[in-house]
Amino acid sequence: MELFNTTKFFHNLKKVLRGVDMVEIEIDENACVGCGSCVDDCPNDVYEMDESKNKTKVVNAEDCMACLSCHEICPAEAMEHKNIHVAKRLYIDRKVNDIIKKII
Amino acid sequence: MAYEIKREEKEIFGNFKPELIPDECGGNIDDYEEALHVLMKFVGSMSSALEQVSGRGANAIVYQAGKRMGHEAGKMVEKTDDLEKAMQELSEILGAEFYFDMWKPEGQDGYTIEKGDETVVKLIFRDCVVRQTLRRTGLPQKGPLCYLLYGYTVGAVEEVMDIRGKLDIDHVGPNACLKTLTIKWSGK
Repeated sequence: MELFNTTKFFHNLKKVLRGVDMVEIEIDENACVGCGSCVDDCPNDVYEMDESKNKTKVVNAEDCMACLSCHEICPAEAMEHKNIHVAKRLYIDRKVNDIIKKII
Repeated sequence: MAYEIKREEKEIFGNFKPELIPDECGGNIDDYEEALHVLMKFVGSMSSALEQVSGRGANAIVYQAGKRMGHEAGKMVEKTDDLEKAMQELSEILGAEFYFDMWKPEGQDGYTIEKGDETVVKLIFRDCVVRQTLRRTGLPQKGPLCYLLYGYTVGAVEEVMDIRGKLDIDHVGPNACLKTLTIKWSGK
């Protein structure tokens, strides 16, 4: 029997160093409209509705895989994820972004 | 008078002989970005057109293309029977295009689950050139182009482990996608 699994050790070490295991999710309660879209969309049941406030609350942050579907579906842009792996964005058109920045 | 196309860029002139091997690609980083975006749009349109012409057959075509690429990539990795070791090695080889990790819910002990003669592992794809291409071209996820990744991963796993496998899409998102890899030991 293998007492020390090196593959698993380095895999977990890599995740800890990258901070993937320490996802933090913040909900802006003033912005949240309580539509529950994030609760329905999340595949890992990270969110639940707080019935008393009619707002979303984070109940299972450790299972968040940072897919950011909730960001895309939230009509109020009320959430923020910290310490996540941000996917390489190859599709950003810098020329277009420069123009948008000048307008906004 | 002959018409001449006017360009802002300066044309590069030099000598060339057939036996010369260029030691660099040339151009600057903006050229590559432009080329990448054109390529992404081209691949996106091709995938969309394939779906329009062949319907669900498009998935099979793209899957086969991905599988072929996966088998080629898998040849660079040492063969193993250990699924977790295979995933670790493949993530290093495929990492540039598809950065993935094994994933499990907090309450689950190990990454792999045994189901009869099958072993199941959840894979989370964080960086994915396919997702980026779909977002670049405004196409929905889970379409034929996602089957490229499906074939790629399955082909690589089959090559490394000499086994039959399949990949199912659990969830897609703008920043990561969760997939389930199932390998059949009886298919060895």
